[in-house]
Amino acid sequence: MIFNGGMGLGTVALSAIVAADQARASGTLAPRNPHHTAKAKNCIFLLMEGGPSHIDTIDPKPKLGSLHMTKMTRERTRFEANMNTGERYFVKSPFEFHRAGKAGVEINTLFRNFSGVVDDVCFYRGLRAESVNHPTALYHLNTGNQFGGDPALGAWASYGLGTVNQNLPAFVVLPDTAYPQGGAGNWSNGFLPAHYQGTPLRPQGAPVLDMAPPAGVTPDRQKANLDFLTRLNRMHRDRHPAHAELDSRIESYELAFRMQAEMPGVLDLEKEPVKTREMYGIGGSNPDADAFGRRCLMARRLVQAGVRFVQVIAMGWDSHDYIDKAHGARIRSIDQGIAALITDLKRTGLLNETLVVFAGEFGRSPDNGIRRGGQVWGRDHNATAMALWLAGGGVRAGHVAGATDDIGLRAVENVHPIKDLHVTLLHLLGLDDNKLRYFHAGRDKQLSQTGGELIRELIA
Amino acid sequence: MLMRGLVLAAALSAQTPEQLFQERILPVLKSDCQGCHGDGQVLSKLDLRTRDGLLRGGARGAAVVPGKPADSWLVRALRGESQLQMPPGKRLSAGTIAAVEQWISAGAPWAEASAARWTYKDEDLWAFRPVKRYPDATIDKFVSARLAAKDLSPSPRADRRTLIRRVTFDLTGLPPSPEEVEAFVSDRSADAWRKLVDRLLSSPRYGERWGRHWLDVVRYADTNGYSNDFERPNAWRYRDYVIRAFNSDKPYDQFIREQIAGDELYPENTEALIATGFLRAGPWEHTGMSVEAVTRQMFLDDVTHGTAATFLGLTLGCARCHDHKFDPIPTRDYYRMQAVFASTEFARPKAPFLATENTSGLGPGREHLKQIVDRTSAHMKGYDDIAVANAMRKHGVTRREDLPKGVAEKAIRDKEGIGSAQFEELKLYQKHMQLYRESLDRYEPKAFAVSSGPRDGETDGGGNIKYPSRAAYKPSDIHVLPGGNIQAPGEKVEPGVLSMMERFGYPAPAVPASTSGRRAALAQWIANPANPLTARVMANRIWQYHFGRGLAADANNFGKMGRKPTHPELLDFLAGLFVEKGWSVKAVHRVILMSNVYQQSSAPPTDAAAKDPDNELLSYYSPRRVEAEVLRDSILAVSGELSPSAGGPGTYPQINEDAARQPQHRMGSLAPAYHASAKRQDRNRRTVYTFQQRSLMDPLVEVFNGANMDFSCERREASTVPTQAFALLNSQFAHDMALAFALRVEREAAPAKRVDRAFQIAFGRAPTAQERTAAAAHLKKMTAHHASVKPAPRPKREPVIHTITGELTGEQHRLVQEEDPAPYEENSHPSECGAPVRALAELTLALLNSNEFVYVY
Repeated sequence: MIFNGGMGLGTVALSAIVAADQARASGTLAPRNPHHTAKAKNCIFLLMEGGPSHIDTIDPKPKLGSLHMTKMTRERTRFEANMNTGERYFVKSPFEFHRAGKAGVEINTLFRNFSGVVDDVCFYRGLRAESVNHPTALYHLNTGNQFGGDPALGAWASYGLGTVNQNLPAFVVLPDTAYPQGGAGNWSNGFLPAHYQGTPLRPQGAPVLDMAPPAGVTPDRQKANLDFLTRLNRMHRDRHPAHAELDSRIESYELAFRMQAEMPGVLDLEKEPVKTREMYGIGGSNPDADAFGRRCLMARRLVQAGVRFVQVIAMGWDSHDYIDKAHGARIRSIDQGIAALITDLKRTGLLNETLVVFAGEFGRSPDNGIRRGGQVWGRDHNATAMALWLAGGGVRAGHVAGATDDIGLRAVENVHPIKDLHVTLLHLLGLDDNKLRYFHAGRDKQLSQTGGELIRELIA
Repeated sequence: MLMRGLVLAAALSAQTPEQLFQERILPVLKSDCQGCHGDGQVLSKLDLRTRDGLLRGGARGAAVVPGKPADSWLVRALRGESQLQMPPGKRLSAGTIAAVEQWISAGAPWAEASAARWTYKDEDLWAFRPVKRYPDATIDKFVSARLAAKDLSPSPRADRRTLIRRVTFDLTGLPPSPEEVEAFVSDRSADAWRKLVDRLLSSPRYGERWGRHWLDVVRYADTNGYSNDFERPNAWRYRDYVIRAFNSDKPYDQFIREQIAGDELYPENTEALIATGFLRAGPWEHTGMSVEAVTRQMFLDDVTHGTAATFLGLTLGCARCHDHKFDPIPTRDYYRMQAVFASTEFARPKAPFLATENTSGLGPGREHLKQIVDRTSAHMKGYDDIAVANAMRKHGVTRREDLPKGVAEKAIRDKEGIGSAQFEELKLYQKHMQLYRESLDRYEPKAFAVSSGPRDGETDGGGNIKYPSRAAYKPSDIHVLPGGNIQAPGEKVEPGVLSMMERFGYPAPAVPASTSGRRAALAQWIANPANPLTARVMANRIWQYHFGRGLAADANNFGKMGRKPTHPELLDFLAGLFVEKGWSVKAVHRVILMSNVYQQSSAPPTDAAAKDPDNELLSYYSPRRVEAEVLRDSILAVSGELSPSAGGPGTYPQINEDAARQPQHRMGSLAPAYHASAKRQDRNRRTVYTFQQRSLMDPLVEVFNGANMDFSCERREASTVPTQAFALLNSQFAHDMALAFALRVEREAAPAKRVDRAFQIAFGRAPTAQERTAAAAHLKKMTAHHASVKPAPRPKREPVIHTITGELTGEQHRLVQEEDPAPYEENSHPSECGAPVRALAELTLALLNSNEFVYVY
């Protein structure tokens, strides 16, 4: 970076970039050079589905204590969802907060483990979403487009960088017990070649659909069939020597079976020492923490095995009521996993080259309407403020950027839209959103849709 | 912050202030400010269209004081200082605000570029010019001329076996039967090919194949998408309408008019009413968490894009926010066209079933769904009983009648005494009932349609949208929305069509501003021989599906950014012929299929790779991988399992079991588990007749590049990825069908002839000697293997159990999903078959996976 600073790129670097562009265009997964030098090479995106409350997790608002149960008047416009209309009351946070780390960032005391690693984390309180509707907001966060159908961030990253391990998918998704709202559109390759589609690894059954043959089909039998198939295909190819696609289809069967051989080993958490598993909360008394911890440990193993982008999903953050119980349980279920992930990435030397992102699709409101005949402590959706943090390669660790107003309704300092987060995440991965383009439906498309700017304060 | 400012200033200083103004300031003024301060309205007396206006300022003072950003109200408002935040509901990025400051500091020069607003060149506008007629031309003449210019020659005719396979896949999406192949190969009459083409064009399978192409373009689905993914219970009638239209060779101009304005132009015609389902084909949802104005705007944008892409081959997305940079389409035109749809409202009117529709499945289907609904209501009543029992306990009574008045009702309403796990179960059943209530309508004689203004009692916006009565209705005004921002509407526009077409001699009609008649005017303008785009776009689509690539390669984009036609005269010849033959799609097929170009061999001439690597000049027929639907249908066909049942509500195919058992989130709870249709004749229908659920595509279809249901698919990709190998070699469906294929071969051929028969069925030819030897050896080896092992018994069906995070507790609860009440008609299973058939099933599985099975030459 220093050698290239301000001097433009040398010819060597330039030819590497041209080669990388060609590889991208060909739609293969071969690894390729980034647009610029960057520490982070991989990304683990912890997606908190449902809209975690920034107010109750990492952005406390003591003022709500004095306003609690007093009436809140919202400006009525025709751009407000039904949900946010009617009689509304301020709701204080039922949680306690403490200062953690050198920066003294205030976070919920239930983050017992996570509080110990916040010096590696950059908190950002200035992001704004645009939609208060789950599926559109999820599509926006994951693909840059509220309407769905566009490539996901993980697909763009794989398109930009390729992947190291050709026997594994470049982009892996570890869903919770159910797919998120909007379904597989959240990890779509959109208009990019199909290689870049997110591959969901299921928590139950075969991790990849049909990776294993039906019961009773032995490896020998399968190998015999595959050998016969290959013979048949070669004879066929000899009759169509000019048809190059035939070879790639023959190869794809070989690749499939290398993947079939390698994947179970990568996914086998029993290969990890007991101590490591325990650190992630695996085998502990909280089954939710166990399930989430497994996904976090899996994410580390996948990145270690050369997967470019892993998205871990934790659902259940949509606490319109009983936020004390619901958010309390959610925080307890993720605390150990996220803390262990950062600690473990650091221990294995991977934190430097891995970007960790934690975000929901939007934040929550400081107020609530009347529900179920009375006032219960919960929060509705809020697109103008949210909870987010980053860790890992290139991130400004131990820092708090941006701020919301004193009731947590709106981000007011260092405010940026989602597209700027996308530009920043790509930048941290060595990719330039303005260069990472793909021609589709009449124009060059990019993750930010129309370009955005870097959120510099998040960058070391 | 200081650091940051310096970095930005350094970055910005590379531009002259004039460049800065043109590239960063003017676009912001146009897209974020002038909507309220200039175009049509001048709020706060502030006009931001000119430098004078900025200097004069508004009610608060000067918007810009050159050289003094801190004193400029523009900067204060953008920063949100002094109780003023502009633009409303949005905050511009820090970088943009810094650019504004930089520009003001530099004296705020105003340098609007006057000329060259668009970057297109004359030749970019080929598609807007009138279609040239070539009365005496032939396809082959056009193609040969271009080949000759490159010193290339066309290839010889392909052999008959190849040809019948090619054209049968092409026109019906299915492989020819071995008997059909032999009949054609041995037909020595001079018009054998013409007879074959005629036979296929009159097969009902033709409409299923070509209707599917159309459904790709309009992004057909049976559900709404997004969080609830509710069923569109009558959408299947639109799907069948499309298939009928292709089968009956409905004149394309009529097809257009019916889809855009069937309700206005042919109010008495049920078929035309069903056709308007086209306008609602995109994803759509409105919940308590959506903003009505936003939902409506999303529909208006969607229908404007959809109509332009489908019929005009124009990509209007760019013009939504700013004047189109590449095509002569000003934003104003985009919104004028959008205003055509301002009175278009969703309707689900009564529409009696037609004699041409397949209604045979409706009775049994309704019965089956009713069984499920009744069972679910019974479960729900159980929770009412718990609440009442709880109230009785509290009141110390033993009979419901003894409770004080209203207590039981209140207990039920407030779900008293229902624990958190039970509450999640109740919510599950409530969600299922919501979904079923929509689905029940699929058996009713109603149409998934639109109307101009609401149809009293027959509107269709779901529970959350309240329509005024027809009498009180007034179409909403449409404004230009600079930057696409609905919170800052600009100039009001009247309904209209694309103005640039007038410059090429195609007059624009007056579109009435009344509630009714707007779409009729648009439809007449599109479905018109003089419209230069309409016939070209469709002729190009037809060519594309025959050859794998359009003459113009971007079928939805005939603008500057779309690739130019490789053979412009040929495209015009086809477009002219299309109109001349009464907009007959089949007439275009015939002239293409009778050409030498279509019948060429797929072996490239030796110099083709060097001179024309992508075969744009058509010196040979480019081989292609079949589409996902063709693959699945072909597997069913060769296995003898393909159901002839056609039309009616979508059925549920056998999909990957893990995907079927995967919990599917619906707002607040989960969908019922996926159940494949219990009867084989239902689940083994052609893929076009399967239920198209936006949130759950059949993984087999998906992995083979199935059409995305959210945006118009102009052309299928054909990528090769390893997960396709898993789907074809490992899936239960592939194994079941391979076994059915083996059983068919066993029925149809003596043991010594089975290898030959299997090849005949799969490939329409006998194996070569080499193949026969290899196959026989494999079969022998597998027979020995199977004779030595006892097949695993048929696995028991396990209950589907999902977990969900409880809203009350944040804890996870297990939910047992209900089974399908219909008894499942199983596929054949290896445990019921002898070793020879099981061994044969290994061979047939390999054939289904082979390259020859998935490529057409």
